[in-house]
Amino acid sequence: MNRTWHVAKKELQEMFRDKRVRTGAFIMPVLLIIMMVGLTGFLVKAVGKNEGTKVHVVKSTSPLLEAFRKAKFEVVDVATREEGEALVKSGKARILLEIKDSDNGQLPIDAIVDPKNQTGQIALARVSAVVEIANKAAIKEIFRLKNIPESAQEAIKLKVIELQIGDKASAGDMIVGLLPYLIIIWAFYGAMGIVGDLVAGEKEKNTLETLLITPAGRNEIVMGKIFALSVVSLLSSLSSLVGIFIVSVAKLPGSEVMFKGGFGVSPTAAFTILVLMIPTSLFFSCILVAVSSYAKNSREAQTYLTSVSFIVLIPAIFSQFIGLTDYGSTLWVNFIPILNTANNVRLALLGKATMLPVLCSIAVSLVLAVIGFVVTVRMFNREEVLVRV
Amino acid sequence: MVITENLSKTFIDQKKRAVKAVEGVTFTAKPGEIFGLLGVNGAGKTTTLRMLSTVIRPTAGRAEVAGYDVEKDPAMVRASIGFMSNSTALYGRLTSLEVIRYFGGLYGLQGKALEDRVEYVVNKMNLHEFKDRLCDKLSTGQKQRVSIARTILHDPPVLFFDEPTAGLDVVTSQTVMEFIEEARDNGKTIVFSTHIMSEVERLCNHIAIIHSGQLMGAGTVQGLKDQTGEASLEKAFLKLVQFQSEYAKS
Repeated sequence: MNRTWHVAKKELQEMFRDKRVRTGAFIMPVLLIIMMVGLTGFLVKAVGKNEGTKVHVVKSTSPLLEAFRKAKFEVVDVATREEGEALVKSGKARILLEIKDSDNGQLPIDAIVDPKNQTGQIALARVSAVVEIANKAAIKEIFRLKNIPESAQEAIKLKVIELQIGDKASAGDMIVGLLPYLIIIWAFYGAMGIVGDLVAGEKEKNTLETLLITPAGRNEIVMGKIFALSVVSLLSSLSSLVGIFIVSVAKLPGSEVMFKGGFGVSPTAAFTILVLMIPTSLFFSCILVAVSSYAKNSREAQTYLTSVSFIVLIPAIFSQFIGLTDYGSTLWVNFIPILNTANNVRLALLGKATMLPVLCSIAVSLVLAVIGFVVTVRMFNREEVLVRV
Repeated sequence: MVITENLSKTFIDQKKRAVKAVEGVTFTAKPGEIFGLLGVNGAGKTTTLRMLSTVIRPTAGRAEVAGYDVEKDPAMVRASIGFMSNSTALYGRLTSLEVIRYFGGLYGLQGKALEDRVEYVVNKMNLHEFKDRLCDKLSTGQKQRVSIARTILHDPPVLFFDEPTAGLDVVTSQTVMEFIEEARDNGKTIVFSTHIMSEVERLCNHIAIIHSGQLMGAGTVQGLKDQTGEASLEKAFLKLVQFQSEYAKS
């Protein structure tokens, strides 16, 4: 065991001196979070505000136009419907309104949009909101004139009562959707960037043979390398949490949208994530070291690793959408590698993680880590794999 | 002492064909002498040394290093040897001292015992000037001195040198050869693999000529010259490996 730690210590020393590791595994996840939060915040704000949104209207004197102006829309007159439609077709106008003559107390308005233009759809939603407010105001006035109680406006009143399940402090929807994916991805990619050097690179540089000639057992060498890589993988995955913390505490752009209720990652959630990620990082490291051992050189290792990365990417991507289904709360999900960790990280962020699924997830990752370790040690004992250069 | 008896290694190539890299090699290298393995590139010298250092297993025959069987006691064999070749690299992101300490730890040295040996090899190889410099920043000669320091750190009774001077300049080659001579004088068993005749003539007490994996001749330099009736080791070598020049063939 002494030699295992000795190998691990040396590998960590080398890794932390490598600029690629420092930037790729630790700085990039933090920067990515800062950029993503900033960008998402910007988009949410941009989509949510009416200010400056142009609404093209076929020449009209309807008082409704005043309601649009009050809602900070920029009303642009066009002479004819044909002229307005041409502007919509060319993308110069998002939405064209033609306010027609009142008929039986109803004011018909044609809203002309390009269904394939997303900004047009956003403008339509905003216009619909203004129209709904105007409708409600008109109904309210009618009810007032006829002495009908205002409450009759809504024949059925739906009152939403939110139950508190799990921890009070929990992360917002966007963080819950994004963070499990990033934590998993960085656990893999943070380690993937350096693993090529770990065994395949040593074969290439002829340092592996020197290592094999020492009394250190091959198990000890493999274990040392896996432990060192696991540390990098774990720290890289947790860098995303650090990024979230920095954005939240420093109130960087986008934080007001993403962290309405504060940081949102409770100490319990952070601890659960750590407990989940330790075996997952170990599992990833075992796969990565096995691939690196099989490859002749670091370039060949990177080629294999790119293919292997899809195995991680697919469940990680699916984890972003599992919250939209009922599968997230089923037990069998906890037996699917990677997806189980991502789902439990998601539940931890929501303050809903429970013991049994977390333990299942840890057990699955540990079993896979042991399999990966055994395969790697076997490869280290196969001279045709080890000395082929 | 290093003893090999009918040592053989057969590899299976990508087309599943058996390739005999070493076949029936027998020799004995004694303490206080330098035993030379002489052969052209691809003759089987490195494969032989890899078997002796337990990196690969023999497919037939046996070998004993420092009294330990390479197949039965590989860990003890590894603890008893120092291995150096011209292609042996160092860890670029570690300093010379860190590399030496790392290998010291792998050889089970720790605490004062380790520090004493580190001090010895730093003085011996005169590493003071660049001991705290990253290995990536060292010159070829400096790297070779660190490699030697790493090789002798645990004071092994047996030393293997696989073409240690290939690609080195004259001055660095001289340092390496002087070191090997000194190790011999200190009673170490040395197996020295090379294809450079002048080095063999200068260093080796006994030599074995390997060609296409087979032992073509063994003895002292003078003995091989006498055996072949040639005046130079180079010609004796060519005669033993039954070399025919392209000109002679036509």
